[in-house]
This record gives sequence, structure tokens and C-alpha cells, in this order.
Amino acid sequence: MSEILISIKDIKKTYKSMGEEVDALKNITLDIMKGESVSVMGHSGSGKSTLLSIMGALNPPTSGVIEIDGIDIYKLSQEMRADFRREYLGFVFQQFQLIPYLTAHENVMLPLTTTKRTNKEKRDMAEEVLIRVGLKDKMNRLPNQLSGGEQERVAIARAIVNSPPLILADEPTGSLDTKTGDEIMELFQELNQEGLTVLMVTHNPDNTKYLGRTIMMKDGRLSDYQEELIRKSININ
Amino acid sequence: MSIFRIALNNLMRRKIKMLFLMLGLIVGVATVISFVNILKAMESELGDKIDEFGPNSIILPRSEGMDINNNNTMNTDITFDIQKLTMEDIPKISASSVSQYINIISPKLVGAVETEQRKTIIVGIDTKKEFTQKPWLTLKQQDTTKEIQELSFLDLPNKSVILGSSAAKALNVKVGELILLDEKEFKVFGILNEVGSEDDGLIYGNLNEVQTLLNKPNELSMIEVSAYCNNCPIEEIVVGLEESLPNSSVTALKEAALFREETIGQFSKFGFALSAMVLLIAAMVVLKTMLSSISERTREIGIFRAIGFRRAHIMKIIFIEVGLIGIISGILGFLIGSLAATYGGPYLAQIQNDIPIDIQLLLPAVLLSVGLAIIVSAYPAIKAAQLDPAEALRYV
Repeated sequence: MSEILISIKDIKKTYKSMGEEVDALKNITLDIMKGESVSVMGHSGSGKSTLLSIMGALNPPTSGVIEIDGIDIYKLSQEMRADFRREYLGFVFQQFQLIPYLTAHENVMLPLTTTKRTNKEKRDMAEEVLIRVGLKDKMNRLPNQLSGGEQERVAIARAIVNSPPLILADEPTGSLDTKTGDEIMELFQELNQEGLTVLMVTHNPDNTKYLGRTIMMKDGRLSDYQEELIRKSININ
Repeated sequence: MSIFRIALNNLMRRKIKMLFLMLGLIVGVATVISFVNILKAMESELGDKIDEFGPNSIILPRSEGMDINNNNTMNTDITFDIQKLTMEDIPKISASSVSQYINIISPKLVGAVETEQRKTIIVGIDTKKEFTQKPWLTLKQQDTTKEIQELSFLDLPNKSVILGSSAAKALNVKVGELILLDEKEFKVFGILNEVGSEDDGLIYGNLNEVQTLLNKPNELSMIEVSAYCNNCPIEEIVVGLEESLPNSSVTALKEAALFREETIGQFSKFGFALSAMVLLIAAMVVLKTMLSSISERTREIGIFRAIGFRRAHIMKIIFIEVGLIGIISGILGFLIGSLAATYGGPYLAQIQNDIPIDIQLLLPAVLLSVGLAIIVSAYPAIKAAQLDPAEALRYV
């Protein structure tokens, strides 16, 4: 039986907006197993990106507990949480979010910058993952010299260079055409098959077919009913 | 890949902004450096002029003395074992350990002579040296048809004297007339303008003639010395003179030294105030540019924090950036400031001395630039490090 990698217990997140309290997440309880691939779907404002940022140790919940690999991440200090993100998490942000003045190779090396590896080790590790995502010949290009799909691959390479157990992806195919988006999803599928746990926020129902489980969110709550609807709509298409 | 590389690449990317920031620092450093250079030259020239304006030390014959107190009712000064100053002492001053600071040596013999059945004080001087040292003494009338001469260029003719204004009035003599001094005839070459000091009551003659008149050949009453004190304190000159003249006692004229220090001090204060203002403006430019740069880089900083950079790493990136800019700005500011002082300083400050490039100011210039940049950037750096990564990535 698989072990639990992420354990979310009764998470709430409340924001203050225009003097009023808004509940972005309402009593979310969820477990994600090691090696699982999960898509989180829902309309804009449903709370899916908030949930991702809370799982990414970036955004403390108002109440509730979240443990990743048995570590209560919001009991860690700010700086310890930064170390945790470096060692445990690989982020793939919306719109790639590459550093524009660094080459593809340097962008991929970024998570290794603050580790105690030698420069050669860092270069080799980055090169290895760039080869893995099919960008061997474009390592020394700046982001603006790469296509959208290539930039996404660099972003994925940056997320996996440190060999984290968990990849968190926020709308990774949102700015790509369908063909490139499918290629990127196949890459995520391969990474998952190699043992990485993948959690992806997506608007695109087509992406769910590359991932094992789909979680539907509505008004800050998990919604099984919506999940069924989505499955049906995929089957119809 | 290192934090240094990230900082360097960012600088290369934001060339215009970084050039603007650099320009602020360069202007600040260049102003300070040119001002320091010009001030040093002005201080030196002003010091020299002040040093030339009257003696700053006086050499008298050494004597032993004691103060006798009679039952607290009467004090008596007794002086004994009085030594003599002679003409041979003058070359010893030029050969002393402080000779490089000596500007004017003005020997003189003071004595009383009888004229018109009354005693008057006569001073034997080397006219050029005495009147160069005391430029406030000027001729009112002169016994020639030529224009009144500058006293510092005057060769007093033989058997001639110059009278102070009160002395001329008391003796009731005019220029060109003859007066008897200890029954010897002297012509009144000129009469000085009134200065309101004891100089007004004196008769000035050539030193050798006064020595003969007073029957003190080769003897001196005192030697007044003007020394350049830019590079050494007056006390050091006093010690050096006393070592070379054991038969004498040397006294520093504190008023001259104090006036000098006070005048130069005021110049320095003005310079520091102006430099501080320019640096303040440079600091504001750095602060504004860095805050705007941090604001533009919010998302980028969010990415760094999300992928595991600690706050200290973010601050390190910013400090490396401003440190590099500070180093380059310090070097360029030093060069521009030094060249501006060298070529523009003499015209701007109306000074005659050359202003050389002082390479010793390079390190202070770089340290000033780097220090200023880092201190001013501390607030933007802390602000950047404290950015909430979720907010920076717009997850909140």
C-alpha cells in the first residue's frame, strides 16, 4: 500500500477584502499518496491556486494542518520553509516564470545555487535534466530565444533538477497551443511514471487524462459531483 | 551558477537603470574628491599665505631666571646667565632639522639711541625680510621722486632710516631731513603709515649700521621666523629650532597658529557641508533607483524565494549588485573628481598652486562609494528579502 505524501486536515483560508472576510478555502481535508498524479480543476476563484500555494509552503492557512512527508510545514520558520521548498518541491509556475537574463542552463541551475554542490556538479545536473526534457542544443539560449513549449520544458527541468519528491504545477499548458500542451502533459506523465508525485492545477479537462486523479473545487470546497460531470464531459468528447 | 553570477547578469540586463544609479554615485564621489583636492590645495596655499603674514615663532637669547617671593607680599623676577644671539646663529636655522619648513628668517637688533636729547628705540633689520614678514607695514612718504616702493623689495640706502608714524611726529622730522642718532647723521628715507601698534614708535635702520651704532657688532636681540606649518605643527618647529640653537629660547606665537587653524577649519567645514549635501543627493538617487528596481523585480524575487532562496540570499544578490556598482562608481568618481580638480580647480578656486592627482584618495573614494551604496540599499534589500513569496507570485 502507498504511503501518504501530503496530508491536509481541515484547512481553512480566509482573506480580508474591502474590509470583509472572504473564505477562499473551507475545511479542506485531502490525502495525496506518494507517486500519485492529481489534477485540481475548478472555475476561477474556486480556490485551486490558493490550495496549491498552501501545499507549496508559500501561503500559511488560517487554520488546519498540512504535512508533507510527515513534516508540518507551517511549523517551520520562514527560512526553514525556504529550505524545505528547495529540497522537497519543484514548482512549475503559470507562464513559465523563467529569469529573463539567465540562459536556459542557468535557469535550471537556480535551485542548486544555494546548495553546497560544486559548480561542476551543478552544471552537470542541470545539463542532464535539460537533455532529459529534450533541450540539449538550446541550453545556452536566453528565454526570449526559446518557443513557449521550450520555455515550459526549461521550467519543468528547473522543477526537477533537485530531484524533489513532489512537483506542483500551476496551469502549465495555459499559454501553449494544443499540440505543445499535449507534449508537455506527456512529459509530466513520464515523470510521474518515474516515481515523482505530480499535483497540477489546470483549467483544461483534456489534461486530466494524463493524470491519475482529478479533484474538483467549487467555492473553496472539494466537489465530487463536479468531478463526475467532468469525467462525463471527457467521455463525451 | 552562483549568486554573484545572478547579480552580475541582472546588472548587465538593466544597463540604463544601473547607469543612472552609477551616475548618481559618480557625481557624489567626484564632487567629494574634487572638493577634497581643491580644499587641500587651498588649505596649503592659504596656510602658506598666513604663514608669510607675520612670524609664527620668535627666537630670543636664552637666560636663566627665577621668581623670588617675599612673604607673599612682593614678587621679583631675576634674570641671569644671559646668553647672546649672533649673526652666526642664522645659518644654523637654515641647517636645522626643520629647515624645510622655514620661510623667512628676520634677524634684528633692538636698542635705545639718543636723539633730540631723548631716548628712542631703534631696530636694526634686514629690510626685505622684515617687511616681507610684516606686510601690514607700508610707506606713507618716501625720499625720492619715484613712486612709493613696495617695502618688501626695498634696499634701504646707507645712513638712512625709516620712521614709524608716531616716532616721526615725536621727533618732528620730515622725509629727506637729517636726524642725529647718538650724534651720528641719518637721513629719513621714509615714514610708515600708522598701524596702531608699537611699530609706530620705532626707527628702522639697516642691521649692520645699527649694530655699529649700538656698538654691538655681530649681535642680535632676536630672530623672528616664519615657518610653513602645513605639514607639521608649530610645536615641532619650535623643538627643531631649539635643538639647533642651544643658546636660545624659541617661543611659538600661538595667536598666529590659532588664526591659521581657525581660518583653515572654517574652509574645511564649508567643504564638508557641501560634500555632505552632494552625497545626500547621491544617496537619494541610489535609494530611489533601488526601490524602483526592487519593485520591478517583485515577481522575480518571488520565484527565487519559491525555489528555495533564503532572505539572506536575496539580500546578498542586492548587496553584490550595489557593491559592484559602488566599486566602478568609486573608481570613475575618483578619476573624474581628480581630473576636474587638476584642470578646473585652479580657475574655480583662484589658486596658484598646482593640484596633483592624489592616488591615495582612490581607496577612500571606492570605500565611500561602496559604503554609501550599501548603506542606502540596506532598506530596499530588507524590503526585498521580506517580500512574501505568495504575494510576489500573486497567490494571495
